[in-house]
Amino acid sequence: MAAADTPSATLRHHDLCSRGIRLARKMRSDVTDLLDIYVERQGLDASISVAAVDGVPTAAVERWAEQTGTQRLLDNLAAYRAFRTLLAQMLEEQRELLGDTDAELGPALAAMLLQVSAFVYHLEELLELESRGAPAEEGSEPPAPPRLSLFEQKLRGLRVLRELAQWAVRSVRDLRQLSKHGPGSGAALGLPESQ
Amino acid sequence: MCWSLKELIAPEPVQKQSVVAWGRAGSGGEEGTKLPDPSDGVQPIVGNQKNPRDFDDKLGTPPGLRTGGEMANPVPSACCVVLAAVVVVYAQRHSQQDSHIQYERVGADVTMKCGSMDWDAAVTWTANGTDIDDSHLNGSYLILKNVDLTQSGQYSCYEGSSWHLKYQTYLRVGVPPKEPVLMCRSNNYPKGFYCSWHLPSPTYIPNSFNISVIHGTREMVCEKDIFPKNRCHIRYLQLFSTVKYKVTLTVTNALGKNSTTLTFDEFAIVKPDPPESVVAKPVPNNPRRLEVSWQNPSSWPDPESFPLKFFLRYRPLILDQWQHVELSDGTSHTITDAYAGKEYIIQVAAKDNDIGTWSDWSVAVHATPWTEEPKHLTTEVQITETTSTSTSSFMPPPTTKICDKGAGVGSGAVAVCWTAGLVLAAYGVLFI
Repeated sequence: MAAADTPSATLRHHDLCSRGIRLARKMRSDVTDLLDIYVERQGLDASISVAAVDGVPTAAVERWAEQTGTQRLLDNLAAYRAFRTLLAQMLEEQRELLGDTDAELGPALAAMLLQVSAFVYHLEELLELESRGAPAEEGSEPPAPPRLSLFEQKLRGLRVLRELAQWAVRSVRDLRQLSKHGPGSGAALGLPESQ
Repeated sequence: MCWSLKELIAPEPVQKQSVVAWGRAGSGGEEGTKLPDPSDGVQPIVGNQKNPRDFDDKLGTPPGLRTGGEMANPVPSACCVVLAAVVVVYAQRHSQQDSHIQYERVGADVTMKCGSMDWDAAVTWTANGTDIDDSHLNGSYLILKNVDLTQSGQYSCYEGSSWHLKYQTYLRVGVPPKEPVLMCRSNNYPKGFYCSWHLPSPTYIPNSFNISVIHGTREMVCEKDIFPKNRCHIRYLQLFSTVKYKVTLTVTNALGKNSTTLTFDEFAIVKPDPPESVVAKPVPNNPRRLEVSWQNPSSWPDPESFPLKFFLRYRPLILDQWQHVELSDGTSHTITDAYAGKEYIIQVAAKDNDIGTWSDWSVAVHATPWTEEPKHLTTEVQITETTSTSTSSFMPPPTTKICDKGAGVGSGAVAVCWTAGLVLAAYGVLFI
């Protein structure tokens, strides 16, 4: 852990956390707009409830305050890698359905995919700095989803975007917790009273 | 109401009687001096299980009454007997044959039977100790038509000749509850949230409230607060959930029930309390600045991990329009464009950096920017401070001379300097 303790590592850690927070905030703002576009384009009711879908990472967590820094990074990385795959699928489905006629939803999905990919890279950098190294992606690849009907695809897409919005908020909190402590601190970073 | 002397001296034994007490538990036979607040759900304490001995124990032995020993002086003894009789009669009048509370709706017609007395028995009804006119009687039944709130009270029925208490009830006139008003809010995120409620209009009779909180398939416990009574709080078991919370409040009273349901996201109800300890101070030698500082609300549990951002608004008292400043961090700000000499009103609000809504505005504070003490005019040129510049940069005080005779830059420069000084002096005199 010696590398993680150097001043330059600390500075880099702080810098990555700060930029990560800004990136997560931007993602959240953009996914909120994307949700509005998606709901309108897909003809869905914004208030519809969608049950948990296999393969869509759920942001909800118990005992969030008791998580270690490393656990936070690993959870975030697994989630955003999954979102990257899911968004790519959604983009492909949209293109199959609407082709080039979709001037709004397709580009918005593509932009979100780019942001998510950038955030994955960011998280991998942070894990490197933690001297943990990012786990191999092959091991975390979600299984191929079953063939869904058009309506099921729409509902899954809604679920993906909603969970992504929650994850973006969680990531801001996680990175803030991480930035309070230097790199290489795998100890529990808890609130004074646990949540 | 009259009693025979015989009854006063040797009253009938107190029959199986029960007591209604209001207010505090354990007050026994003490008649309450205050009716429960209709909105607070306080139920009257009905002590109908108490036997006469318990009731008597509660009253205690009347002063001066001896239970044994030598015969007392006859005069004080007679007084004691009279006093004892009065106490017993009082107990009779204020105890109940059957403990009974009767709830009726405003506008209802109420018929009261005198216990087991026959319809044609001779009875006397009283309301809060006052005899009721026979026109309200149908035989021995008391008929109250279209009751209103003023008719709430204690109704007693006495057998005609013996004045034995045959029936007693407490009539409470009220209305069924309207849909309650429910509000849920998290001012201590991420610890949890609270819900509070009230009725839009009083029912005039006791109400009870029941709240249920469901998150997905999980039922959560809402722990009642000691104060205020119409509030309970829930701890978050999960954070960052997309599953909505569903809170249902049911209010029930003897005349009906009503309920309301709120459904919301975890983030939507986050609203901090206003910032605390807002202080605004003038900045010495700066007539256009005010230094404002504040603290995070004490209810916000972890401002380091969940930082707040702030919104500051300020205006001079003489104007209606506010100036606004949003601050993403820090708990202080310097206003740099205040009008010199004008009193300002300042408030601050807070919001979580990422979720929820703004708090209410803080308590308003007042402050006036620094002003210079008025100085006496002298024969020397006085340069007044100008406030026409749009910047808030520091202006030299009036005593600072801008011309220095000893500067040695040449006679022409000195002449220009003196001319400028005279012009400025004239300007200053004009404004004085």
